Amino acid sequence: MGIDLTTSFLPGTGALAATVTTQLARLNWIDVLVIAIYFVIVVFIGFYLRGSSNTSEEFFMAGREMTAWIAGLSFVSANLGSLELMGWAGSAYQYGILAMHWYWIGAIPAMLFLGIVMMPFYYISKTHSVPGYLKLRYGDGARALSAICFAFMTILMSGINMYSMAIVMKVVLGWDLNFSIWVSSVTVAVYVALGGLKSAIYNEILQFLLIWAGALLVPILGLIEVGGWSNLRQQIATNLGRSDYVHLWSTLGHFSSNPMGVNWFGIVFGLGFVVSFGYWTTDFLVVQRVLSADSIRSARMAPVIGAAFKMAVPFIVILPGLLALSVLPFHLVAQDVAVQTGQHSFNEVLPLMLVRYCGPGLLGLGVTALIAGFMSGMAGNVSAFSTVWTYDIYGAFLNKKATDRHYVAMGRWSTLIGVLVSVGTAYLVQHAASIMDYVQQLFSFFIAPLFGTVILGMLWKRATKEAGFWGLLAGTVTSISLWLWVKNDPSALRYVAFSPDAKHLAEDVYRSLWAWSACVLVTVVVSYMTKPRPVAELEGLVYGASVLPEEHDDHWYQKPIVWAGAVAAGFIILNIIFW
Amino acid sequence: MRESFSIWWFAGVLMLAYGVVILSTGLWEVGHPLPQPPVLSNLHAPIWWGGLLTVVGLGYTIGFRPRHVADKRRK
Repeated sequence: MGIDLTTSFLPGTGALAATVTTQLARLNWIDVLVIAIYFVIVVFIGFYLRGSSNTSEEFFMAGREMTAWIAGLSFVSANLGSLELMGWAGSAYQYGILAMHWYWIGAIPAMLFLGIVMMPFYYISKTHSVPGYLKLRYGDGARALSAICFAFMTILMSGINMYSMAIVMKVVLGWDLNFSIWVSSVTVAVYVALGGLKSAIYNEILQFLLIWAGALLVPILGLIEVGGWSNLRQQIATNLGRSDYVHLWSTLGHFSSNPMGVNWFGIVFGLGFVVSFGYWTTDFLVVQRVLSADSIRSARMAPVIGAAFKMAVPFIVILPGLLALSVLPFHLVAQDVAVQTGQHSFNEVLPLMLVRYCGPGLLGLGVTALIAGFMSGMAGNVSAFSTVWTYDIYGAFLNKKATDRHYVAMGRWSTLIGVLVSVGTAYLVQHAASIMDYVQQLFSFFIAPLFGTVILGMLWKRATKEAGFWGLLAGTVTSISLWLWVKNDPSALRYVAFSPDAKHLAEDVYRSLWAWSACVLVTVVVSYMTKPRPVAELEGLVYGASVLPEEHDDHWYQKPIVWAGAVAAGFIILNIIFW
Repeated sequence: MRESFSIWWFAGVLMLAYGVVILSTGLWEVGHPLPQPPVLSNLHAPIWWGGLLTVVGLGYTIGFRPRHVADKRRK
């Protein structure tokens, strides 16, 4: 589930906020100037784009005029927040190269599948959202259920993002929590409420470039310091006294034979299929970016372009975590231990590496990249919330006959209110630190079953309206029930995740697999018990009942399928190299 | 309203601004070494990294300047 799983690596931050007395770095005026330049530009973009966000199509869908490159970079950037950077760098330190699976098998196949198979249906149905597609395919029941779950989830995630940023700024720079929360939320509210999705997308592009500009120096200088990749592998094996930290697949024979406590079946089917496909193909936060594309060809190319860049992200996220295992003169510990002993935690590995290699100016750029990532994460959630609230809850059930102008106003207001509720959530998290742990469960509750409902709806004509609703509900209830079962009786892990050795990440992927299976099973059974819709009504919604518009590429190398093949080949080669 | 400022122009301006600030800092540090330099400071990363950002930023700022993009759209 990409970014969202990383939240589990920042647990217990409420306690952390209370106990931190030292900071990792001090910024000088050059660093502050670098940060200020970023804030000026993002607010300027919001005011600048206000004039081009007057209709609902412009405000919620960026006018559907984004090129493949803009939509593709925004698609991958919406997922590349700072929780992603900090969390996975920390998990690479904790679990080794296995963390790479969340970038490769946990993303690339699903992104390519979205571009080549699913995007044509999303795009030609002209839906404004994923719940909107469910309305067209299954009716109001499935739409209402998914819209409410999604709205709840995005607001919570936005608050978590906000609080995480504040806590990181406190730990790294000693900034006041309230200052960070309010400055970032007011900035996001201004630029999203003014410029809508287009403003969010523009800022995601800037954030993507900033992350590379700010973080790329760490692995480059790190590899120079350790003397290259071969030396790094050797030093990690020597320092840890074990070699399973640098192998991607060869240690996945059993739960207990690798640092992550997971096996190949869970990685391939749980992560690589259900979790990954669920997140990348049905989470509206990322799908919304591709729906803004200017043509069906751009919409198909965007996820392929995103996949190519996603494959490179471990270089700036996973590699710094591995380098830290070799070059840091002290050991990092789990968050709860760090709070008690005053040591540095896994989560601080990226800031520690930034401080190690970056002086004034470069440090400001690295910190700006982190701030940009957090704000982009907030903006992505808030813009997706605003769209789903306005189209799929307010416009669908509360006020069906308002004018387009009214819906745009509602979009702006819901953006502001969404940010305010997120601020409230951020403060709530401060007093209930365990909520951070629950966030990743939320995704297994709602996204994994949603994938079952959407994929059956797109590929199976026989799926019925009633089946869509009951399948989605059954998957969600199954996931929540399994989570409660393990919470009340930890020994149930042997049934839910097939092993008592399974750790949190393994439990999540297996619970997602169960939820998806329950959704698919109930959808199939209920479909055969109820009356199907006439095929004519499924035109543009389902494979086999739709005539897809022909794409006229001048040359073979312009076809999305060719580029998807190239990315797939790169994906396979990389997995073999790091086997 | 069709925007006259491309997102790539904004990206160019941002990179150019950062490049100039970081390159200047790097050059200043050559004559005024930091009391607590970072690891591998002998490689002068701010100079070559700031220089790279300046060149890339300048390229995008010029290549996607508003009038130039408007002319291309008309063609």
